Amino acid sequence: MLTFAVCGCRGESHWPSRPVTLICPWSAGGGTDRVARQLAVQLEGELGVPVNVVNATGGGGATGHVRGAAARPDGYTLTMATVELNMLHWRGLCPITPDDFQPIAKLNQDSAAIFVRESSRWQSIGDLQQTLSGQDTPLRASGTSAGGIWHVSLVGWLGAADLPSDSVTWVSMSGAAPSLQELMAGGIELVCCSIPEARPLLDAGEIRCLAVMSEQRSPAAPDVPTLEEQGIGWSMGGWRGVMYPAGVPPEKAATMQQAVLKVANSQTFANFMDAAGFHRDVADGNAFADFLSQSDSDFGSVLNQPVMKRQRDAPFGPHAFPVAVCACGALIAGLGFRSSRRAAGTVAATTDSNPRPAVRMPLLVGFVISIGGFVLVVEQVGYVVAAFAMLLILMLLLRVSFRMAATTAVIVVAGLYQVFAGVLGVPLPWGWLGW
Amino acid sequence: MNHAITQAISETLTRPDLWLIVFASAVYGVFVGAIPGLTATMAVALFVPMAYWMEPVDAIAAIVTMVACAIFAGDLPTALLRIPGTPASAAYADDAYALSRRGLARRLLMVSLFRSAFGGIFGAVVLMLLGGQLASFARSFSVAEYFWLYLIGLSCAVLVAPATSRWQAVCSLLIGWLLSAVGISAAHPEPRLTFGITALYQGISFIPAMIGLFGLSEVFANLSEETLAGRKRDDDGETTVSNGDSVGVTSRRKSRAIGFTRSGSIGVLIGMLPGAGADIAAWVAYAMAKRKSSAADGEATIDTIGEASTANSAALAGGWIPMLVFGIPGDSVTAIVIGVLLMKNVTPGPAIFEDQPVLVYSIYLTFILANLLMVPVGLAAISLASRMVQLSKRMLLPLIVLFCVTGAYSLNGSLFDVATMLAMGLLGFGLSRFRFPLGPVVLGLILGGPLEERLMQALTASGGSPIGLVNRPVSVLLAFVTGVIFWGILRAASRDRRH
Repeated sequence: MLTFAVCGCRGESHWPSRPVTLICPWSAGGGTDRVARQLAVQLEGELGVPVNVVNATGGGGATGHVRGAAARPDGYTLTMATVELNMLHWRGLCPITPDDFQPIAKLNQDSAAIFVRESSRWQSIGDLQQTLSGQDTPLRASGTSAGGIWHVSLVGWLGAADLPSDSVTWVSMSGAAPSLQELMAGGIELVCCSIPEARPLLDAGEIRCLAVMSEQRSPAAPDVPTLEEQGIGWSMGGWRGVMYPAGVPPEKAATMQQAVLKVANSQTFANFMDAAGFHRDVADGNAFADFLSQSDSDFGSVLNQPVMKRQRDAPFGPHAFPVAVCACGALIAGLGFRSSRRAAGTVAATTDSNPRPAVRMPLLVGFVISIGGFVLVVEQVGYVVAAFAMLLILMLLLRVSFRMAATTAVIVVAGLYQVFAGVLGVPLPWGWLGW
Repeated sequence: MNHAITQAISETLTRPDLWLIVFASAVYGVFVGAIPGLTATMAVALFVPMAYWMEPVDAIAAIVTMVACAIFAGDLPTALLRIPGTPASAAYADDAYALSRRGLARRLLMVSLFRSAFGGIFGAVVLMLLGGQLASFARSFSVAEYFWLYLIGLSCAVLVAPATSRWQAVCSLLIGWLLSAVGISAAHPEPRLTFGITALYQGISFIPAMIGLFGLSEVFANLSEETLAGRKRDDDGETTVSNGDSVGVTSRRKSRAIGFTRSGSIGVLIGMLPGAGADIAAWVAYAMAKRKSSAADGEATIDTIGEASTANSAALAGGWIPMLVFGIPGDSVTAIVIGVLLMKNVTPGPAIFEDQPVLVYSIYLTFILANLLMVPVGLAAISLASRMVQLSKRMLLPLIVLFCVTGAYSLNGSLFDVATMLAMGLLGFGLSRFRFPLGPVVLGLILGGPLEERLMQALTASGGSPIGLVNRPVSVLLAFVTGVIFWGILRAASRDRRH
């Protein structure tokens, strides 16, 4: 009764009738997150239910996309997909391809651009290409991790301009912001990333943009020439779009597409995108699907080139580091055990003066099983039921009276649920009862 | 300039609605920060949709306040339940919890609150006076300098360990380091140690790991007959809350002032380096304070923890330096702030100082206002929170478990994180049993990945030659400092061996 009152009752007459989750594969504060949160705010107005952004980050975008594709196709989980969806599967990092999704709407496309320090000697892309073709020591460039979108863009440009692929060393950094910091610090000479990512430094006159990799000049930087104008036929960029996992009923997908397109074409959204420097490029589900299959084969052709597979400039393999740490740990532990055993006679007396009481193993096992059980069933039965059961079992394990335990569990779980899902807008798993 | 300051004052301090916004954000920040698993970043990210409807100054004031308060509030579960609210407070989680078991929780939290507030104000003043100069220094940090800085940060975990358990601290650090090797990073695009589990591609996320290592493992350790029967385990009882002795012994005052300036400066200097941030600052300040104080009584430990709080708060202001001056985010919170500013058609960067000086001064003033208002809200939170932990252990332990589970889940909405937390809880429980400290595990987990990345990047850029790590003046200096610290540790170790 109390939980019912707290959670409120929701009619099923109107779809959607409960909060929608928007998975963002990138971290809070980044470009994709900003677009996702803006979309979420406006989508709330269109749909009449909360739209919560969840940052499922990591794995260079793999985590979020995999989770988005594997979500229950009930129409309540959207994914803010990014260009990495086109790339990860070609690199064998993730089994998900665009075919696992049902595209709803494409929102934006940002072209790659090449940046150098303001104090550098390169005034135009021509200067830079001249240096690259005649120089023995490679220039150092970054913008993202090796094999990422801006790396692909740079390698594609080198190929299109007939420059040797080893004239640039790609320093694998985790994103555009640290790459720009490194450019300023003088650790690298080139940065390849999108214009909005470099906006503040560009406006401040600290860095110079030599070229954009698009067919038309970017509205965000209209005085920067395109590669096309320099006679190099290469354009590349990142996109963002909203997707459903495959298998969502068509009438729900249609409702959602209508709402998303209405937001994407609104003046508010356009203003936001302009202010943030993102190039708005809206397409509906069908056009988006065509675009995806086209770009997917483009990326396949670049990423399968031997030069991309070879582009691993790192001096050590991936396992060198953990092996070194293990060896170090074994050495120190060995030395430590020996010396502590030698010192045991004198030291033990002082350190063991306050021993911790013995733990009751059955209780410990009971606690672990209860938490494990919660993890296993919560997706099915929902947070409220699972948390209530877990709390009740734990309290009974500690021999709290049943009435006391049940009352506390009802109050605490309902309160906590209300705080997280209601006040803070953090989605908790839904289950049988609708909450 | 004076005109800008006056205008900024009239646009901030004299507006009652802004005070109200700051107050509400302080309450919200304390609330979110006190829930284990919800971070300051999370508090800001949840607030962003609301920021859209607010004026730039109001939005910034709200963000500054909620972050400062959330970081302070992270100390509440740290001291009372041994669940660190922020990675920075993991530095002193064990010491703080030991103090509260001796009944010094309220005293500790008071010190922590006031030191946080002063640290925040100190950071804001430095930001105001030296922002530009410091920013151009921060700009010269390349990957090689970061590599040495991270190494110094890591060695702090060994510095703070008592001599008898130094090798255990090193082992804990290496365990954390090994855990950080899981997943994909910029240093190695191939997945590593993931055993084909996609959820592990992102590595072990450290908030759930931290909740498990400290919070859940403490619950496990409490599952004993004696604790459950409510019998006293230490000299004077459970987490009872007393005021301790009166504030301010004169002999301490001078060393406190020096310590405060030192940790405040460390906080600002390290905090302003993009990507280094408050975590390293708190560890370094804690290590330095601990080296300085020889006494092992509660009062000295409280002071040491207070210094870490100071550095932690001062680092928050430091993080704004590169953000305002160059538009390069210093941490995830300033990254969000850049987004909010851009949403308001304000582009951070050098131009902001000339075009919108009023806005800049308003931001400085809100820093001070936020830290002032944090005190009353923090005091209320301390007395509320201390009351909550006076529940009987039988009721409290299951509730802590529920909090741990919910907190771990809500960060990324991932059940895998809950499983991670459970595994880390067992690991932490095992390690504590054998007297391995847990703080270094967290530090290794946080810094291990970036350290490796920076090493790889520096070596890649120099074509594989280690000269690339020491061919710039600042990197030579930092390498020298690292060398001195390592030599000191080794010498101390060999001296102990001989005794």
